Amino acid sequence: MHEFSLCHTLVEKMLEEAEKLTPPSVRVTKTVLACGRLRQIVPEYLQAAYEALTQGTIAENSILEIREIPIVGRCSACGREGELDMSEGFICPKCAAPVSEMISGRELFLEQMEIEQDETD
Amino acid sequence: MRQIKIYQDLMGENDRWARETRELLAGHGIVMANLIGSPGCGKTALLEQLADRLHQTLRFAVLEGDIETANDARRLARKNILVSQLLTKGSCHLEAKLVHHALRDLPLAELDLVVVENVGNLVCPAEFDIGEQVKIAMLSVTEGEDKPLKYPLLFREAGAVLLSKTDLLPHLSFDIDACVANIRKINVDSPLFQLSSTSGAGVTDFFAWLSNLRLTS
Repeated sequence: MHEFSLCHTLVEKMLEEAEKLTPPSVRVTKTVLACGRLRQIVPEYLQAAYEALTQGTIAENSILEIREIPIVGRCSACGREGELDMSEGFICPKCAAPVSEMISGRELFLEQMEIEQDETD
Repeated sequence: MRQIKIYQDLMGENDRWARETRELLAGHGIVMANLIGSPGCGKTALLEQLADRLHQTLRFAVLEGDIETANDARRLARKNILVSQLLTKGSCHLEAKLVHHALRDLPLAELDLVVVENVGNLVCPAEFDIGEQVKIAMLSVTEGEDKPLKYPLLFREAGAVLLSKTDLLPHLSFDIDACVANIRKINVDSPLFQLSSTSGAGVTDFFAWLSNLRLTS
């Protein structure tokens, strides 16, 4: 259940960003989270946490989009750069050497938001 | 409606505390190990052995992470070692800020090593840097051979892997060679120790490795 703890930080940062804008956001309609597969986040738990934590804020009823980033490694033996599905761990599917360099899979960041601003002035 | 591109790392706050902890420990020349494994894999039993065998040669303290109860801290306090209980009250992992504050309550000038026994869990504790020098992944032979493939982040990041309860092997269908092969698919380099806190087999080698850990910048 680290989803709740992570989502707490996500909502906090998202609201901070929304307030920083000029003119300040009236409403947040969408948040995009980039999330590497190695993080083992359960999207359903994260969605439930997001819904609970945004209640009563300007992001209430907004959409949380989770962009999953695959685990990609580069094999130092044969040079293959590609996705690893973890069924064989960090072993190169082409030449069976250990993949020592990870290119992606550990990401966890707030990537994008959609907001509405007061445009009366 | 406006779309806004941002890049805001969600681990930033935790990582800041972890950095402060590294500075604090470096200032005192203390090594900190973060012991991570499932509930019941034998983390506390191993630390009891550590206390029995090394309390006269190594100045160390244990930070016990649990969701509830101070039972583990009580177990270790009987061994006359320094131990603090950290209760997460529902959270499945320790975060850097809590560990940092607990460290500040320890007599750091009198210590060489701090072992943090993280909350029993193979997923969440691996996510959070607590300022340790090394993560140690622990898996008992009563679990499954494929656990390293199911929880790759922990085994990938571990600076050492322990396979515990090896005294039970004759009673189990656990395929230890397959398990070791799976660990190596995730982590090629880190030392691997097969041990049993009950029989004492393999424990000496691991403790020798642990006591020889040195601070690296």
